[in-house]
Amino acid sequence: MNKKLLSLLLVFALATTLLAGCAAPATTTAAEATDVANGETTIAADAKAYKVAMILDTTIADGGWGAASYNAMVAAAEATGFETQYTDGIASADFATNLRSYCDLGFDLIITPGNQYSDAVNEVSVDYPDVHFAILNGKIETANVVSMLPNAEQIGYMAGALAGLMTKSNNIGFIGGMELDTTKMKLQSYEAAAKAVNPAVVVASAYAGSFSDSAKGKEIANSMISVNDVDVMFGDASAVDSGAREALAEHEGRYDIGQPADLVKIKPMPVLISSVVTDNASMMKIVMEDVKSGTYGNKTIFGDLANGTLSVGTFSDKVPADVQAKYLEIIEQIKAGTFIQ
Amino acid sequence: MKMNTKVVQFLVPVLSILFSFFIGAILIASIGGNPIEAFQFLFKGAFGTKANIGETIVKATPLIFTGLAATFAYKCGVFNLGAEGQFVMGAVVTIWLSSIQLGLPRIPMLMLSIVAGAVAGGLWGAIPGVLKITRGLNEMIVSIMLNYIAILFMGFLYSGPLREDNLPQTAQVIVKLPRIIAKTRVHVGIVIALVVAFLIYYFMFHTAYGFKLRSVGLNRRAAQVNGFPVKTLMLLSFIVSGAIAGLGGSVELLGTQYRLMAGFGEGFGFDGVAIALIGQLNPIGTLLVAYLFAILRTGATTMQVGTGLPTSVIDIIQALVIVFAVAGSALVNLPKIRQVLANWSAEPKKGQGN
Amino acid sequence: MDIFLSLPFLQELLLSTLRMATPILIVALAELYSERAGLVNIGLDGIMAFGALAGFLVSYQTGNPYLGILAGALGGILVNLVYAFGTIQLGAQQIVFGMAINIFAPAIASFIYKMAFGSSSSLAQATLMAAIPIPGLSRIPFIGDVFFNHTPIVYLTFLLVPITYVFFAKTIPGLNYKSVGEYPKAAESSGIHVVMVKYKASIICGALAGIGGAYLTTSYISTYSDGVVSGRGFIALTAVIFGRWMPGGILLAALFFGFTDALQLRFQVMNSKTPYQLLAMIPYISTLFALIFFGIKKAGPASSGKPYFREER
Repeated sequence: MNKKLLSLLLVFALATTLLAGCAAPATTTAAEATDVANGETTIAADAKAYKVAMILDTTIADGGWGAASYNAMVAAAEATGFETQYTDGIASADFATNLRSYCDLGFDLIITPGNQYSDAVNEVSVDYPDVHFAILNGKIETANVVSMLPNAEQIGYMAGALAGLMTKSNNIGFIGGMELDTTKMKLQSYEAAAKAVNPAVVVASAYAGSFSDSAKGKEIANSMISVNDVDVMFGDASAVDSGAREALAEHEGRYDIGQPADLVKIKPMPVLISSVVTDNASMMKIVMEDVKSGTYGNKTIFGDLANGTLSVGTFSDKVPADVQAKYLEIIEQIKAGTFIQ
Repeated sequence: MKMNTKVVQFLVPVLSILFSFFIGAILIASIGGNPIEAFQFLFKGAFGTKANIGETIVKATPLIFTGLAATFAYKCGVFNLGAEGQFVMGAVVTIWLSSIQLGLPRIPMLMLSIVAGAVAGGLWGAIPGVLKITRGLNEMIVSIMLNYIAILFMGFLYSGPLREDNLPQTAQVIVKLPRIIAKTRVHVGIVIALVVAFLIYYFMFHTAYGFKLRSVGLNRRAAQVNGFPVKTLMLLSFIVSGAIAGLGGSVELLGTQYRLMAGFGEGFGFDGVAIALIGQLNPIGTLLVAYLFAILRTGATTMQVGTGLPTSVIDIIQALVIVFAVAGSALVNLPKIRQVLANWSAEPKKGQGN
Repeated sequence: MDIFLSLPFLQELLLSTLRMATPILIVALAELYSERAGLVNIGLDGIMAFGALAGFLVSYQTGNPYLGILAGALGGILVNLVYAFGTIQLGAQQIVFGMAINIFAPAIASFIYKMAFGSSSSLAQATLMAAIPIPGLSRIPFIGDVFFNHTPIVYLTFLLVPITYVFFAKTIPGLNYKSVGEYPKAAESSGIHVVMVKYKASIICGALAGIGGAYLTTSYISTYSDGVVSGRGFIALTAVIFGRWMPGGILLAALFFGFTDALQLRFQVMNSKTPYQLLAMIPYISTLFALIFFGIKKAGPASSGKPYFREER
């Protein structure tokens, strides 16, 4: 009896909500539109308030990729006068729903920090031609979708060259989160660059299968140290990297290269020797300015050493001056495209 | 029983859900948000436009499948926690069929894909069943292990053999389920889900086999004494439950997601269990609760976006709804409360007569 | 393949096994205490997540990881009391309630962390608990380093195994406790306060699971990030059943998980050509095969998972 009543109740709830819903589109689409417009005109009395949002599958407090992307958006928005908002920790099934919500609420620009959002962006951007979309590490170019592509090959070269110069044991390590295209590319060029500066180098690599299991990162690093005698590492796995750093810190003379922020400057740790810095903010700034000037679309903004998006982070005192000099020489070669042909 | 008891039993789940919203409102207010505005956004997100109503239905579809999968298993006293793995395996077989280029016309290809998904889910669901019956293994642990294996296997496929060149994800399916309402993403999967729900309802409550199945769930020993084929019935419920989940995975892939990537199917299995239990293990109840969950999900998205509250606040409110709904429906079944209710409802009517 | 036989490799493998088994073991024991009182708690992941955050925060603020462990225990108890109230007092479905905890507690933890630390580009780092070698024993070559050079939490966890065994098998309170999970009505009629025992069980379970979470963020690594628990609660749940509700069995199950996980990580590092997902399956597949091979004839506590009402029928 209880069940029957429960179902009755739910039918009732369903019916009323459906009715409300069905009635809504006819009457409210117009009302809503004016509503939104009113809301905006009040703010936009002196200047139109531009709004930018970011959706992330990781969290913005992951101390890695999520945090870096979010902070880049905030920095770029401050410079260009955008209001920001974000949603983090979204499952892949909900990407599209989230994007639609932002579109419905009148956001001008939505930034998605990763290629994994491409499908959702592709789908939603067609339905909302007036909203601008930007994909970090993406490849799509349409009238309202722009991609930003930091050069993963150069990032790998930069880290690999430093690792190759710094290693004493000739064993270096790499931890990836997931087998993303960019991660694979970074690993490949990391290995190539290390071998170019030091042919004796052997690279050990592993995937944590996660961007958040920092305990696993520590365990992987521990096994790389004990089994492979790895003494310099580079990671592409956000919070997992910080676990790896802890394992390295427990041993004398073992180092990590950070990314994407200038970690030595922000938060020096004995284990960090330098960082490969990706200035996502400068690319996002270009995107935001394009939105404002109405010149949006059909392009990919490349980020590399030449345009300053990629740069060498602060060195710690563990990197001898002669190594620094040699490394910066190599960086010039990478920049000029003459490093590995 | 008495009218008033009915009313109370009918009110308690609603009140508990409302109560969870009330707590949620306090939570929102305590971190400087505006609860009224927040719930307006929630409503708008779920029903604001035709597209939003569509989104809600799209979101409900996989939840109905995993909810029904749990309902079917638990009705027979079988604790299948493996709906997520079965859901994933259904999708895995579907994408594999899509990748081998059979060259079939659209409709037969769709039918084949869906049936194959159900079969795959059924087989994956049969494993804990067979192990329980032959080796006495606990189905909860086996199905949890199988969830991990299925998810890793899917990961292996989308980052290895079925990888689409530049990302750890598969290519899109070559045939998609047709959409049935213009300007929304609602696809034919919801119809399949409804049909499955009514079939299960009919099977469970209007067939002899369904009766036997339910009696195994109510009292296994009594069913055995009555000469019901208990083991066969349990195995059957494992397989059917798995098949429903597998079907759901296949439909979700063909209708909404189109390709496998990290996070496919995440959480649907456990949501299904919660939905089934709040829906009182009734297929129709399951249907409605799944819809309610979907309202919460789509609404919550808009609520978060509109208010800018941290995403975790939304998760907290959703968990509160589960906690209160479950606690509320349990509350009415407490012996003491039952007694109070019985007395209370008896008094006004009979009290006057006496 | 000679590497497998080298001493340092073996030593590191065993060390890694112990490190990875510890959180699983303590949380599995937590679950055992809960199930022995008839409460199946699948909210372990959630309790751990909250314990991990509470432990980290306190350890970060005070610089004392021991206080962090204490905070983890208190946090765990707090979360588990919600579960206890719902399942004991209201007689709600234990599985669903546990799942709600799994959604609820990590969300609160994530929320608090974000409020406290925002989106800094590196994770906040607390003091890591130092290992305390056991005098004398830790000097034994090979064995000393593997077994007697850990943080106190590790010793405590492994000590809990014999304690738990003695408690349930040899003491009157332990036997009474067990009877609550087996035949609550009989227990009640022999003068045991069933509801009280269930609450005590929930407090023990919450404390141990909370410590398990706090161990991750105070003794294993020194940072907190969402998802740091990564399903370890479910593995612990499995370890209880795998270990047949016996402390010794649970110990073996936890070590088995730790070992296969440690081994697969090493395979991965040594052989990056094999897809990591296939290697990561090893712990789960080997568990399944171990289960199939050994079987489980002995089931868990008879009334586990069922609500108990004193006045019932």
